[in-house]
Amino acid sequence: MTAAALYTQIVLEHQRAPRNFGVLEAHSHAADGTNPLCGDALRIELVCCEGRIERMHFHGEACAIAVATASMLSELAVGKSLADVARMETAFARLVDGSVAHDALLAHLNAMQALSRYPTRRKCALLAFATLRAALAGTASATTEGNG
Amino acid sequence: MNAVQQPATTTFDPLRHRVDFPLLARRIHGKPLVYFDNANTAQKPQSVIAAVDRYYREYNANVARAVHTLGEEATSAYEAARDKLAKFINAASRDEIVLTSGTTQAINTVAYSFALPRLKPGDEILVTTMEHHANIVPWQLVCERTGAKLKVAPITPAGELIVERFIELLTPSVKLAAVVHVSNVLGTVNPVRELARVCRARGIPLLVDGSQAAPHLPIDVQALGCDFYTLTGHKLFGPTGTGMLWARREWLESMPPFFGGGEMIRTVSFEKTTFADPPHKFEAGTPNIAGFIGLGAALDYVETIGRERIAAYERGLLGYATVALKSVPGLRVFGEAKDKAAVISFLIDGIHAHDLATLLDQEGVAVRSGHHCAHPLMQFFGVPATARASLAFYNTRDEIDRFVEAIARVRKLLG
Repeated sequence: MTAAALYTQIVLEHQRAPRNFGVLEAHSHAADGTNPLCGDALRIELVCCEGRIERMHFHGEACAIAVATASMLSELAVGKSLADVARMETAFARLVDGSVAHDALLAHLNAMQALSRYPTRRKCALLAFATLRAALAGTASATTEGNG
Repeated sequence: MNAVQQPATTTFDPLRHRVDFPLLARRIHGKPLVYFDNANTAQKPQSVIAAVDRYYREYNANVARAVHTLGEEATSAYEAARDKLAKFINAASRDEIVLTSGTTQAINTVAYSFALPRLKPGDEILVTTMEHHANIVPWQLVCERTGAKLKVAPITPAGELIVERFIELLTPSVKLAAVVHVSNVLGTVNPVRELARVCRARGIPLLVDGSQAAPHLPIDVQALGCDFYTLTGHKLFGPTGTGMLWARREWLESMPPFFGGGEMIRTVSFEKTTFADPPHKFEAGTPNIAGFIGLGAALDYVETIGRERIAAYERGLLGYATVALKSVPGLRVFGEAKDKAAVISFLIDGIHAHDLATLLDQEGVAVRSGHHCAHPLMQFFGVPATARASLAFYNTRDEIDRFVEAIARVRKLLG
């Protein structure tokens, strides 16, 4: 298959074998995120200590882009504070809308830069961020609609 | 010498018609376009594009008010679309054709001008599980305002309406029934004639949403026996922003307008305004003149090919596509009605509909993925979304082969 720059090896690899996928029984924070436009649903569960994420797990049913983003984020979020996550989310939004080509802060998530050419699929990737933000803020649910 | 000569009308060559659609020659990501999103919107033949272009170049003017030559020409071309629509659905009179922006406006016109003034608390509107949001939400809005309730007739797992249940649900409290003619998700062709007969026997008006039927089937509203019929122009190879509400004349006469403005009045004073006769009473404001001139050209185009021939060709195409898709391991088709139009919703195990649609686009294949504006139907099947291939008479078996080959490549990538 040619030109499928969005579905790169690293994205497909995270989709096939998502990291930190599953329930985190003793979590301190959790939120359910949905994308009502496509029906995708992700639940993120966190263990936080002194304002920092120690573990992030996720599960749910979603497309490859949403799953791969959540998987990459679950690795990247460890050790981060709410402010760090907010900075990452801003950077990620600029990456996928094409404002920047790369951001060191985002590590593997830079693979999602191809979304700048797939505007209808951006919300798939933003679901994990919206859900993580809701979990950290103590909000039970998040949606990709109305959150920009 | 050939012993038997086939009459020209028995063979249908899609390639002969395909060349009339300039867009179909496009390449997408370097591959020839396979356009299988016709239920979303259909492509336009050159004659439609030329009709719109010619109106703006040669006789752009407002309709029904200018007495100059341009105004007369514009009015005549615009009103010709009404005549063509009346003929297309075999209406008893052109005055029964209300020109709307599409099916959504047509259904809303019935909701606000017909249902709203009539409904009382405890009354009911009957719809089916397979309705498009356009045939659900307007009724919910009028129910909220009147205290009426929406009732839903169920379908089978194969995606067919359970007619006995529909009939049982037609209780005296039901003041209106609204049913899709052809499901945009499942392709199911509902037995509208039979439903109209039972509704009529009980004195319950029936609205039929014909958005997806119009591009695929011959339509005769008098034979169907319904009370309201709606269709949308852009799925019928015409421009967007065009559509129609057909209603029996007696209903149109008894319905108050819900949009006020120019074009729909007889006399206006600050004390009292009197309205124009139907259908103009429902057509406030300057309409989509270019759009309806284009729609007129689209109807001419379809009639030239012949709807019986289109339906026959598409039946063969649907059969071919269904067999081909079912050869794909893990592929599940949603909607296996006996009477079905050329629309196939499906999912493949382990592949999300959106991933599939994005990757098929890389192969030049355009399909829709999502809920298809039919959340309740997705809930019925217990899936968040499906992929949908919807065919038109300009599609070919060769395209179906390329589509199935592209699916195989996607499965390899995501498998």
